[in-house]
Amino acid sequence: MGLGKKMAEKLALPKEVVLDLPLISLIGQEEVTVENHKGLMEYSAEQVRIGTGGGSLRIVGEQLELKQMSAALIVVKGRLERLEFLR
Amino acid sequence: MERFMNLASYREILFWDVRSGGAGIEMKTSLRGLQELEYCAEKTGCRLEIQAYGGLPEKCKRLRGRQAFTAGVLFFAAALYILSSFVWVVRVEGNERLSTEEILEVCDSVSLRPGAWKAHVDTEAVTQALLAEFSDISWVSVGIRGTDATVKLAETIEKPEVVDKETPCDVIAQKDGVIQQITVERGTPLVEAGDVVQAGDVLISSEIQVGVEGEEMHSEYVAAAGSIQARTWQKMTEELPLQEKVKVYEDGQKSNRVWIFGDWTVDWIRPNMSEECDRVVIGEETPGLGDWKLPFTVREEVWKPYVWEEKTRTVEEAKAELEALCRQKAEESLETGASVEQMEMTYEVYTDRVRAECMLTLSEPIGIIQKKGL
Repeated sequence: MGLGKKMAEKLALPKEVVLDLPLISLIGQEEVTVENHKGLMEYSAEQVRIGTGGGSLRIVGEQLELKQMSAALIVVKGRLERLEFLR
Repeated sequence: MERFMNLASYREILFWDVRSGGAGIEMKTSLRGLQELEYCAEKTGCRLEIQAYGGLPEKCKRLRGRQAFTAGVLFFAAALYILSSFVWVVRVEGNERLSTEEILEVCDSVSLRPGAWKAHVDTEAVTQALLAEFSDISWVSVGIRGTDATVKLAETIEKPEVVDKETPCDVIAQKDGVIQQITVERGTPLVEAGDVVQAGDVLISSEIQVGVEGEEMHSEYVAAAGSIQARTWQKMTEELPLQEKVKVYEDGQKSNRVWIFGDWTVDWIRPNMSEECDRVVIGEETPGLGDWKLPFTVREEVWKPYVWEEKTRTVEEAKAELEALCRQKAEESLETGASVEQMEMTYEVYTDRVRAECMLTLSEPIGIIQKKGL
């Protein structure tokens, strides 16, 4: 375990800040919010790939849309099927 | 395309509702963002095409050509603003002993009423008026929120009735009469059942004799108390004419509706009445939805036409009416604990009227407290 991870666990610090990891929030199968992202890598109605500190995150589904995008967060809505981390 | 979106988000351009359509994407952005997006498209080799304009600035632009609609929107906004400048509801909170109507009456006298212009309502004046009018109020706060005015108040703790048992006083008769019953709580009774008393006579004396039996007694003075029931007499005179004009209501009553806006009464459509008539108010209603009342009241009236008719009564009828009238007046004038024991009627008949003299025998409490030395 890395020093940063140990410190974050011992001091109960937010890991997404200390370790530069994405914070992913899901609302059922309808919406996913990815904070602390590194940019959009791929975008289509069936698949969205987002770069994060822990590898790229692939969101697979149908009728996917980017509800909102800014430097801080990406909100994807649609009929979500899978979320995968690709290293 | 992804590069384009990454660059746009990096440059903090606001965009949303991104959909993939055919070979490209569709997105929404602000007018300010549009200029920045052109730069991003150029940098990433994308082609930018504006499909449509929308949103409030665009709608406003479209409204320029529709004058009637624009006027309607402006009129609605003005009406909303003007109507929200009135007080529509006045609420009173925290009153237990004081009635809401009394408080609202005082508020009304200082211009706080449903329909009042909010700018003309001086909440400080309302507070001062309420404090000056009701000694039972210890704290008042008057606030106007939206179209609702709320008067919050706290009442003082009710003062208990203080019975003065220290100051020496007598119980005296307030009327002439014959004592029927006497009950003494404190003091020395000076009369007993069957005694004839005159107004002002002491019935229960404040002086009591204190001491051990067989030794010299001494006087002490107390606040005399007790109840004294006595038979009293009262004379009453009434008369009735044998002929008089009376109102007789006819068929054909009509309803009328009056609109009341504060002090202003609107009664444009009145029933067409050729005869004399009485206006009888059936009820008043302030329309509204729930607690939300409109700033006017509708009064429902009935107009009853009548004619004056000559009424003739016989002497016997007049006597019967006079007896009923005397009985009614006697009962109305009775105080608590009093009752009519007997009623003797004597009549004098004249050509045009009957005069009745009624001698009432009453049983009533006659004792009143008088301070010693007065």
